[in-house]
Amino acid sequence: MRSTTFRWTLVVSAAFTVCILLMFAFILAQAHRMMTSDIDRLIAGSAEGVVAGSTAEERVLRIDEHLRVNPRQAKFGALFAPDGRRIAGNIASLPPGLTRDGGPQLVTIQATGASGGNAQTVRAVAQAMPDGSTLVIARTDYEFTWIVHTVERALLLGLIPTLCLAFAVGVFLNGRAQRGVEEVNRTVQRFVAGELAERLPAPRTNDPFGRLAGLVNGILDEVESLIRRLAGVGDDIAHDLRTPLTRVRVSLERARQKASNLDELQRSVDQAITGLDQSLAIITALLRIAEIEQSRRMDGFRNVALAEMVREVGDLYEPIAEDKKVAFAVSAADDAIVHGDRDLLFEAVANMVDNAVKFTPEGGRVELSLIRRGDDAVVQVSDSGPGIAAGEVDMVAKRFYRSDKSRRAPGLGLGLSLVAAIVKLHGFRFSISPGPGCIAEISGHRIAA
Amino acid sequence: MPKALLIEDDSETAEEIKAELVERGFAVEWAATGIEGLDKARQADADVMIVDRMLPGVDGLTIIEQIRKESVRTPVLVLSALGAVDDRIRGLRAGGDDYLTKPFAIGELIARIEALLRRPADNRDTVLRVGPLELDLLARTARRGDRALDLLPREFRLLEYMMRRKEQLLTRAMLFEEVWNYKFVPTSNLVDVHMGRLRRKVDLPEEPPMIQNIRGEGFILRAPA
Repeated sequence: MRSTTFRWTLVVSAAFTVCILLMFAFILAQAHRMMTSDIDRLIAGSAEGVVAGSTAEERVLRIDEHLRVNPRQAKFGALFAPDGRRIAGNIASLPPGLTRDGGPQLVTIQATGASGGNAQTVRAVAQAMPDGSTLVIARTDYEFTWIVHTVERALLLGLIPTLCLAFAVGVFLNGRAQRGVEEVNRTVQRFVAGELAERLPAPRTNDPFGRLAGLVNGILDEVESLIRRLAGVGDDIAHDLRTPLTRVRVSLERARQKASNLDELQRSVDQAITGLDQSLAIITALLRIAEIEQSRRMDGFRNVALAEMVREVGDLYEPIAEDKKVAFAVSAADDAIVHGDRDLLFEAVANMVDNAVKFTPEGGRVELSLIRRGDDAVVQVSDSGPGIAAGEVDMVAKRFYRSDKSRRAPGLGLGLSLVAAIVKLHGFRFSISPGPGCIAEISGHRIAA
Repeated sequence: MPKALLIEDDSETAEEIKAELVERGFAVEWAATGIEGLDKARQADADVMIVDRMLPGVDGLTIIEQIRKESVRTPVLVLSALGAVDDRIRGLRAGGDDYLTKPFAIGELIARIEALLRRPADNRDTVLRVGPLELDLLARTARRGDRALDLLPREFRLLEYMMRRKEQLLTRAMLFEEVWNYKFVPTSNLVDVHMGRLRRKVDLPEEPPMIQNIRGEGFILRAPA
């Protein structure tokens, strides 16, 4: 019961009560003011009516007239002789403290007759008559008293149920929040315990809890996919490392058992070293990808003239393509400049070309071109290699993935992951599409011509 | 006998480097901590220093910065398990002369130390000569004896680099970093292919070969005996 929701319920209920009380107080004050001024107008009017009588007898008559219709015993009026004796009316004596000709005042009077005996608080005016007597006209504010009673009843009848209702709603909301939190808690704990498919029930409504559930599910989705990908990468690393390491082991074993001279021993050791170098290259490439993926540094970014860079990559790979008897064409007519890290972009493009040359069979063709497409500069590498199936496009850029067709080609399968990491760091786009062979593209925003 | 100062906290690595260097005719002094290393480096009696970046208590780069401030000019090879390009740049900026990432082939380390020791003097000659080989840097022409060599710009650059470091073992990584100025590890045998091109032009089948391929290690340019 000490939950936040519950405390808030109490606070809100209290605030609500205070508000209602203030509101009623305000209404009462206003009503009181209005009634007082009404009563004052009434008694002033009545007094004028009596004063209008020119003789003392007529004034007595008018007072009697005034008091004749008085069902609630709310009206009072009297005429007092200069010595204080009552001449007419239903007030026992001249009320003390009442100033003559001083306007309406609040005074206590003693009534005579049917309503008499007890003292009453009234609004009253006193006026001096030409013959020296004093006219007093008064009226009780019983309507106001009645309103106060009504309001008290209304408060009792209204506020208590309201408070009870607020309390009930608070308890209900509190319970619901608790259940929601517990649900999230249980789900996340099960998730942490390894049940990766665990999710919160799909949100039915658009309330905050529904949205929170959606958010938590989104996070769980992302974590699950990361965990699965990591596991996949782990498997792939293990697999790709096992191949060269097995070769190392075999050649060392053979050297130990079979080598009969230094030459044979050296040959086996060389083989072993080659295998270890391959393993190290895999690890280096992985670290490099991690480094680029984690790098948030943009301060190394400069303006990079792509044409020059593309030509350099072409220059670097032209002999490689030629050795493999793959035709290699470079075209970089566009004068695009992009914002980026030249070394990394170079590495990315070099990897794309490396990849294309590697997977294109003898007699094939690789083209490296810089194209302008709207506001984007596009570095495109197309080849006449075996191409990729449409379903594999996404997988290609995933770490270590190598298309089944090319499992036998040398290489680490990491090239395009590296390209993807570099492109992501730049906020550029990397796409692979099936052409006759395969078309890989990096496109980025040109900042100037 | 050249003297090398090795600042490296891992004793196994240190022993291996020491053994290899001693075998190559170096006198090796070993410091296992940064403090000791800094003291010895200040004496500046070594011809070359090998400094590990991650030393207990102190960054190897701090040592290098400190001795450079004190005008110690000994060439420094920085060793690091951090492979990041940024780290390499930082290492060189701190005053290191070369940077090698762990794990490394011992041959690579030796080649780089030799290269540091035999750094080409600031040669203002416009014509380089190694045996019959002649490179005119102004006219951008190359010849071997009477035979003019028709070199592409990248081949010219490669040959110039090798001629400035004749009779030194140049590893693939060194060539790739220095000649092509690239900081990534190529997955293909890029250097070999480019070197093959240059070799076919420099060494005709009937001529004594000048560019030698040291298997698994790198290349050496030598004047024919």
